Amino acid sequence: MNFQFLISKRKRRCLFRVMRNTVLSFLCILTLTLVFTPLIYAQQISLSISPPLIKLIAKPGKSVLVAYTVENTGDPTILLTKVLPFEAKDNVGTIVIKDEFEGPIRFSLDNANIVLEQPFFLKTRDSQQVLLRMKVPDGTPEGDYYYTLLAESQPPPTLEGVPSARAKATIGSNILITVTNSGTVDVKGRVALFDTLPRWKLEIGNWKLNVFDSNDKIPVVLIVENKGKNLFIPEGTIVLKGGFGETARYDIIPQNILAQSQRLITASNSAEFDFRQPISLLISGFFVGLYKISTTINFGENSPNIFGATSFIAVPFKLFLGFFIAIIIGIFIVKKLTQKEE
Amino acid sequence: MKISLSRKILNKFIWGNLKFQIIKYCFVILTFNFSLLTFHLSEANAISMNSNTFKIESASVNDAAGNKSSTNYRLSDTLGQLAAGQFSSNGYIIKAGFQYLHSIIAFKFSISNININFGTVLANTPVTGTTNLTVSFGGAGQYQVTAEEIGPLKRVSDTQTIPNTSCNGGVNTCTTTAAKPWTSTSAYGFGYSMSGQDFPADFTDSTYYRPFPDRTLSESPTVVMSNTNVGKNRQSTVTFKLNISGIQTAGTYQTVINFIATPSY
Repeated sequence: MNFQFLISKRKRRCLFRVMRNTVLSFLCILTLTLVFTPLIYAQQISLSISPPLIKLIAKPGKSVLVAYTVENTGDPTILLTKVLPFEAKDNVGTIVIKDEFEGPIRFSLDNANIVLEQPFFLKTRDSQQVLLRMKVPDGTPEGDYYYTLLAESQPPPTLEGVPSARAKATIGSNILITVTNSGTVDVKGRVALFDTLPRWKLEIGNWKLNVFDSNDKIPVVLIVENKGKNLFIPEGTIVLKGGFGETARYDIIPQNILAQSQRLITASNSAEFDFRQPISLLISGFFVGLYKISTTINFGENSPNIFGATSFIAVPFKLFLGFFIAIIIGIFIVKKLTQKEE
Repeated sequence: MKISLSRKILNKFIWGNLKFQIIKYCFVILTFNFSLLTFHLSEANAISMNSNTFKIESASVNDAAGNKSSTNYRLSDTLGQLAAGQFSSNGYIIKAGFQYLHSIIAFKFSISNININFGTVLANTPVTGTTNLTVSFGGAGQYQVTAEEIGPLKRVSDTQTIPNTSCNGGVNTCTTTAAKPWTSTSAYGFGYSMSGQDFPADFTDSTYYRPFPDRTLSESPTVVMSNTNVGKNRQSTVTFKLNISGIQTAGTYQTVINFIATPSY
């Protein structure tokens, strides 16, 4: 009897262990599943296009073929490609795409299976090579023509009986075309604005002085204007020189400036900037005295330089204030101690 | 008395000396900090500007007393020696990507939910729906996302519409480019709010809304996301809001919002 009791106890223990392990394993798998399972959204669109920018300099009568890749990493979708002209909207690189096609350049697709302005189907994780042919007809006037190749998804079907807003995604890649017979380009650049954004500004008649506190970061704005018929890419530097001879140099990021437009030039990879107003450069440090900032810009080999300069003065107001307060407190403490002793 | 007098004199001397010591040490510390911080203006460098296809030559630095601009000129050498040769023989030169990047990086755009279902909408009871916009540019370049509606919310069976919102009205009347608070349940219409990253600054908080530009009224698309700095996996949330009056005709109202994402040039 005792023996039977032992066996059943062992059995029970064994059973318990098995059950416990099973439950633990199940909980473990469940937790892992819940933690690592990606969020699932309703129907989604995810597109990519490459290359994101094409720059073409061509003679009239020339035809060029460019291969784009449009990839769908979202749900299966129907896409439609088209080319529309754009223009610069402001001086921070924003564009306005026009509603209707215009201009002398002719665009078509060399693909066997797809045509511009005609829809095609793209599965999930599938890509489509878009062979865009750009033809500059004979007799095209010299100058710049700017376009965007757009890949536009079709909105989902309407939901019956439910008010809804359906979204469609359009992704674009810009095309900058300069038409020139001889390779000569019309480059007319100037510095439209080069200045700091000061905390205080002293103005006495024509004399102006930008004033910062010594601990302030110095925001610099550089806007270059293109008054010519063709786009250019400025290259250059911004140099800061202090009263004690210290120098700091910042390279300008070369960005296209379209014909007859202005652009804010950035002078560093500014992801760390936390400024609501667009700026070219933010200089950190502890500044005391008069500083000069200058910029030198050119537009390629053999092009002349253009210049800009500004200055600012930094005064350690906060430090002086802190020092003054410390002295007052020190005097107060000493007086108190002296009175106590008396 | 003599002892107390001498003690007084001694104390006075000690405290006077102490005052002097305090001031002296303060001055020394401050001067030291001044010197340390003033001469510690370190050079900050931008990203490397060299690649296989271009090189930025640092121009000579000249002190200039004011802005100087160039007079008109025509350049025949802007293309560079190699490019000029190519242009002469082929008749064209083509470049892909951005000059300051070593490789061509694809531009990506996603919308998490393309069917924003408002469900059953009751009068004077605003309803909302959201979708996420995500832009990836491989860690480089600037971009913009614009939005427009192909028309106002329109009943499927006919031309009845729900107008775009003007928010709370009066001084708080919103426009396609200026968001204002929309908190009143008697303010009707359809609009959107933005939150997350890279959204326009006029969306001060979640109560601020704008109407969508209406293509049927030839209104230009408006920027809903943009960044002039580098961007990778930048995400914002669009919150659509709908509020109808008691006299709004029942039915299924629909519209299409077109989000256009483009990299900069």
